[in-house]
Amino acid sequence: MSTITIDEVAPPNAADSQWAVETHGLTKRFKDNVAVDGVELLVPRGCAFGYLGPNGAGKTTLIRVLLGLTHADAGSMSLLGYPVPHHRDQALARIGAIVDEPRFHGHLTGRQNLHILAAAREPAARGRIDASLERVGMIQRADDKVSKYSMGMRQRLGVAACLLGDPQLLILDEPMNGLDPGGMLEMREMITSLVAEGRTVVLSSHLLDEVERTCDAVAIVDRGKVIRQGPIAGLLADSAFDLQIDCSTPDRAGTLLAGTQWGTGVEVGPDGLRVSLAPGTERAVVAEMNRLLVEGGVSVYRLQEVHASLESWFLEVTTRLGAGQ
Amino acid sequence: MTISTVADAPPPIPAAPDAGGRVTDHRGSWVPNGAMIATRFMELRKRRGLMAALILVNIGIPVVFLTVRLIAHAVAPHSYGPAGGYDIFSSMVAGVLFIFGFIVAATLGCTAGSVDLTEGMFRHLVVTGRSRLALYLARIPAGLAIIVPLVAVGFAFVCTVCVLAAPTQLSFNNVNVPVGLSKPALETWAAGHVDEVICNFGFNIGPNSDLLQVVNSVPCGGGNGPSVKVGPGAPTSTPVSRAQVEDAARQIAALNYTDYSGRFLSPSNSLMVKSGLWIELYAAVGFLIGLGLSSLMGQRTVPVILLIVLEIVLTPLLSHSPITHLINLQRALVGIAVTHFEPGGLPSVFGGTHNGATGMAGVTESTTVAICVVVGWIIVWTALGAWRMVKRDA
Repeated sequence: MSTITIDEVAPPNAADSQWAVETHGLTKRFKDNVAVDGVELLVPRGCAFGYLGPNGAGKTTLIRVLLGLTHADAGSMSLLGYPVPHHRDQALARIGAIVDEPRFHGHLTGRQNLHILAAAREPAARGRIDASLERVGMIQRADDKVSKYSMGMRQRLGVAACLLGDPQLLILDEPMNGLDPGGMLEMREMITSLVAEGRTVVLSSHLLDEVERTCDAVAIVDRGKVIRQGPIAGLLADSAFDLQIDCSTPDRAGTLLAGTQWGTGVEVGPDGLRVSLAPGTERAVVAEMNRLLVEGGVSVYRLQEVHASLESWFLEVTTRLGAGQ
Repeated sequence: MTISTVADAPPPIPAAPDAGGRVTDHRGSWVPNGAMIATRFMELRKRRGLMAALILVNIGIPVVFLTVRLIAHAVAPHSYGPAGGYDIFSSMVAGVLFIFGFIVAATLGCTAGSVDLTEGMFRHLVVTGRSRLALYLARIPAGLAIIVPLVAVGFAFVCTVCVLAAPTQLSFNNVNVPVGLSKPALETWAAGHVDEVICNFGFNIGPNSDLLQVVNSVPCGGGNGPSVKVGPGAPTSTPVSRAQVEDAARQIAALNYTDYSGRFLSPSNSLMVKSGLWIELYAAVGFLIGLGLSSLMGQRTVPVILLIVLEIVLTPLLSHSPITHLINLQRALVGIAVTHFEPGGLPSVFGGTHNGATGMAGVTESTTVAICVVVGWIIVWTALGAWRMVKRDA
């Protein structure tokens, strides 16, 4: 029997790769249904990366393809610089993942389940069991049977299982499911701490608010395709935003601005004046509006840019594309 | 559609140190490590319901049966025979342990082959990067480490009772006969017990035989005559001498010697060892078939039912007598192939012949064919189960 060591066969540039996940033209079909359609995804190392999409968009399928749980029909991919599927075992040795709902042997305790998973990893994984349980706050319940666990506790156990391999990349599919607000906060803090340690976390979630709070960058997937990806701040900056104007006479201010190129977006409400601006509007425009209002005799107390939340931006993007089709 | 780039993504942070540096755990190897086997063993052993059911069937049935016989014999020894002995041993091994051992092992195999999938652990295990083949193969020693001792315990109990509670005298045709006599010794013993021999031993003589008149002269108690088959025109009884009666008893004993010589008070050590290995072989085969079949099908219930039907219905049905056009199919049944290796001192499991023994005209096959069939079943089902596990979407 010939056995191999990872370092002997790993591509020489694996550790130097900038990307934790890299896919090109990745495609997965289920008969006539294209679940993953030519996905081009680049996840930088050392960040929390959100993977967002409506139900049935192909999020979980992509994760399953990446992890070798199902095969791809076309395209190429690499994890942590290791091309897969050729070097999948080397890549997976450095990856922890939860896919779908975390399920375990219900007749065993949480600790015993981790022993089974640790046995399939490197010998050092066994020594990380207690630390993993401690980190996810499950050490006190580690010797209870999993059948007695709540959904949230199974989620935590799933994360503990991910940590057994001391992973460089964690892929978490809906890790907030079943967690109470306190648990969500702890999970968010844990993800942040994992990233601070230099690990990469790919977070698939439908909880956009959580993703916005946790992640540095996101990819939006719809109908099997990645339609946007990049840093959250950059994506939101590129979206439409409102200018909230706090002034002495909102009605007069509205009249003044109605005659300008921004007039179609002017709205006077109980909170004052709000002007909708197109994506990419330069900041000089704000100064120009201020000048017009002051010259028109309106006292301006405050001008504030109000950007869309990730949720409203996500809905805007997916709705627009859906309507476009 | 526009796809933005991540060129302006947050600058990569230096990655965490490599997990353990050089990873030398042979993760891609198809050979499972000891920890995988140990944890798989633990996972199966902790299934209390399954273990209780397996113990109940494989150990509980013999224990209850033999305990009842022990108590009954202790309370009323004249009404109930000894609990142990050769006859009980051979019946228990061929009638209970052999068949139920297979079913129990197949059930365990079906469990081992499917629960990771049905309980959601398969995905976790695949994500570790461990070879799927190694994950499959780890189940074999783990399962055998459970089923082999389980079958052994049930068998050991049967052996113990059958040896320790064996009858002190051999009951042959309801006559207590000393065990282990040679043919002349049996004839000598028969001469001293003419009434018991003539009235109880079986024999078949013609109507004109000299023996007939002697036999008819012996009064059997309770109006029961000797079990003699007499042809038409039998002569009426006339007085016979004591020497004639003793000679008749000797002749009848000689006629029964072949049957007598196959009876023992308790099973021999050789027979027990061979029987133990034989039922362990069948249990191991049952486990491996169950493991492969359930892994192939991805579930437990249907494979268990299929294997029970195979064992309880199909094999007995097809092993009884050779069917000209289906003889090769009959020989290909694993149950029939394994009975070829049945120890000579046991009755045929499925009613046919075994190991060259004479009996009912069952399906026969050569040793080579029997070995090929058994090995073939193991290899084919193991290969199918492993192949499905490697190719299956997790």
